[in-house]
Amino acid sequence: MIVVVGLSHREAPLHVRERLAVDGEAVEALLRELVASSEVSEALCISTCNRIEVYAASNSKTQADTAKAARRVEKALDDLARKNGASGVVPYLKTYVEGEAVRHIFRVASSLDSLVVGEPQILGQVKSAYETAKTVGSVGQFLERAMSRALHVAKRVRTETAIGEGQVSIASVAVDLARQIFGDLAGRSALLLGAGEMAEGAAKLLVKAGAKLEVVNRSPERAAILAREYDGVARAWEELESALVSADVVVASTAAKHFVLTRAMTAKAMKARRGRSLFFIDIAVPRDVEPQVNELDNVYVYDIDNLSNVVADSMRGRKAEADRAESLVEHEANNFEGWAESRGAAGTIAALRTKVRSSLVGELEKSLAGRLRHLGDADKKAMNAMIEAAVNKLLHVPISRIKASAGEPNGERLVEAIRQLFDLSEFPSEVEAAGDASSEPAEASSVPTLAQRETARR
Amino acid sequence: MLAELAFFATVAAYAAASGLFFTYLARPDGSPRAAKAAPRVLAYATILHAGYVYLASILANVCPVKSIHFVASIAALLASALYLVLRRRFSIDAVGAFVAPVALTFVLGARFVGRPDQPVGGGFLALHVTVNVLGDALFLLASGAAVLYLVEERRLKQKRAASVFGRLPPLDALDRVEHRLLLMGFPLLTLGIVTGAAWAHRIENGSAAEGARALFAFGTWIVFASVLVMRAALGWRGRRAAYGTIAGFIFAVAVLVVYLVRGASGGST
Repeated sequence: MIVVVGLSHREAPLHVRERLAVDGEAVEALLRELVASSEVSEALCISTCNRIEVYAASNSKTQADTAKAARRVEKALDDLARKNGASGVVPYLKTYVEGEAVRHIFRVASSLDSLVVGEPQILGQVKSAYETAKTVGSVGQFLERAMSRALHVAKRVRTETAIGEGQVSIASVAVDLARQIFGDLAGRSALLLGAGEMAEGAAKLLVKAGAKLEVVNRSPERAAILAREYDGVARAWEELESALVSADVVVASTAAKHFVLTRAMTAKAMKARRGRSLFFIDIAVPRDVEPQVNELDNVYVYDIDNLSNVVADSMRGRKAEADRAESLVEHEANNFEGWAESRGAAGTIAALRTKVRSSLVGELEKSLAGRLRHLGDADKKAMNAMIEAAVNKLLHVPISRIKASAGEPNGERLVEAIRQLFDLSEFPSEVEAAGDASSEPAEASSVPTLAQRETARR
Repeated sequence: MLAELAFFATVAAYAAASGLFFTYLARPDGSPRAAKAAPRVLAYATILHAGYVYLASILANVCPVKSIHFVASIAALLASALYLVLRRRFSIDAVGAFVAPVALTFVLGARFVGRPDQPVGGGFLALHVTVNVLGDALFLLASGAAVLYLVEERRLKQKRAASVFGRLPPLDALDRVEHRLLLMGFPLLTLGIVTGAAWAHRIENGSAAEGARALFAFGTWIVFASVLVMRAALGWRGRRAAYGTIAGFIFAVAVLVVYLVRGASGGST
């Protein structure tokens, strides 16, 4: 059973999310720790500036075990925050289970849960989280299926709805804001502090608009490379305060765990600037610019949430497309649930019955059309009853055993063995076959009994 | 009759321009049609206004700057003409949202103050009135820019930036234009005060209105002087300069009001 535990821009403000900021290594360690535990069998972690979420699967289908798995993930995330020197994230964590969890994963991948609905970056982030989990070896059949379906849904949403059209990027909004403050940006000075991907994007647009670029980075080599790339000037980290005096726009995206630009530091710079406006674009999580800096006269600080909100505000009229995308996600989530159900004991029993019955009925039909052509209706009816009885008798013991072991660790193995032995993987359940005709073989899964066929023929 | 017609047409055109400017600023989509039409309608209003002042002063056989009746009206006329000239150069289209309704108020207000054929003073007074009216027009525009600055600054600080995109002029442009208009208006104000003081000295009637007017006039001068000095010396720009400019304009309007009220009550000069 799949569970999702985590927090996003919906539940947690930026100052909470930044407590859980993790790098690639920390994600891998988290995944290893989770799958090593007895409660969690599969795990995957999505970490972006807007969310950190763990998608996990537990071995068992019982509610108690799912709750245990969720608690285990909660604990792991709380430990992570503590390692970052923070605490108090647990009240913000949100948990989704079963169908809700799958729906959530699909919505995230399709960018329906993003702050800016329809933004394209999330799909890449989901893909790379999936790749990381695969490398670590923390995904199994459930998450693998869920993730590949999530990517499929995201692709459908992108191609079948206009949700991603006319997208405005965070970087372009940041530059629009700079224009709203300064007017023409030609000859203005932009300071690039640290170098995230999005910050580079913003710096590129600022340079294109005519701004001169200065780069300050903890690593002088990196600063030099960036300065060369954008025809700017690299300055030493120690010169940050003086760089603040000459800059008009500051794009901050360092990996620092604490504020790099404080109120006191900026107030000092503003004095030297004689009140000239200063605009901070803070794309770092955790943030680089102390929020109180925004209180200073003629200083404007926009963090990642502020920028995303501006983007979301400036894109109206997306509701209809979002609704279409939501119904697509709903449809796909139902299909997934059908599949998940079929992987369980009940689904396997139904598939087994259908498979055995359809084989026998198929053989009987052949005979009735050939050597047994002379049989009358009463005989045919008797043959049909005989087949039903044979199916029931043949499957009585296996079915009883599957039922008896359902919910136990052994049960999963038994179900899997039956599926393997009878090749039930090629036997999709009713829901899946009917609901996803476009991408799956549209095989009728519930084989009608002979009597039903006879009725239809008449 | 023709003058009356011109008056009502002027009032209607200013009202329409005000409405269009507000539509442009208030509508979520920025209403591009209103944005295009508003300055055009204001231009018609200004032409009609000039026509009205011309016709009415010919009719009353009085030089407009020598009549109390026309003073406020001419200040508004000059302000809106200045706006039309400067709006492209400084990209301050949105300032029209302040200029149009203020011009409407001044034109309507002037209507009830004094009679057009009630001339005052001699040539010296005409100079005094002319520089003051020109100065007031500049201050009116400057405080328009200051008001917009404060609105936009607040929105940007509160992260409601999407509401101003492409609609309000850039913050720095508003700050710059406000400063330049003050720089232009300040010498005129100074000259107005000097001529006013000399004239008051000559007639020496020492009435309470005279005293109040002088007080407000000096207040205006001190406020604007402080705004300019603080900006040059301490780098007080943006919000503080905007508040200062608006305060100065309120003083300037107070001078005008005292002047008009006294004129209306039929007091001699």
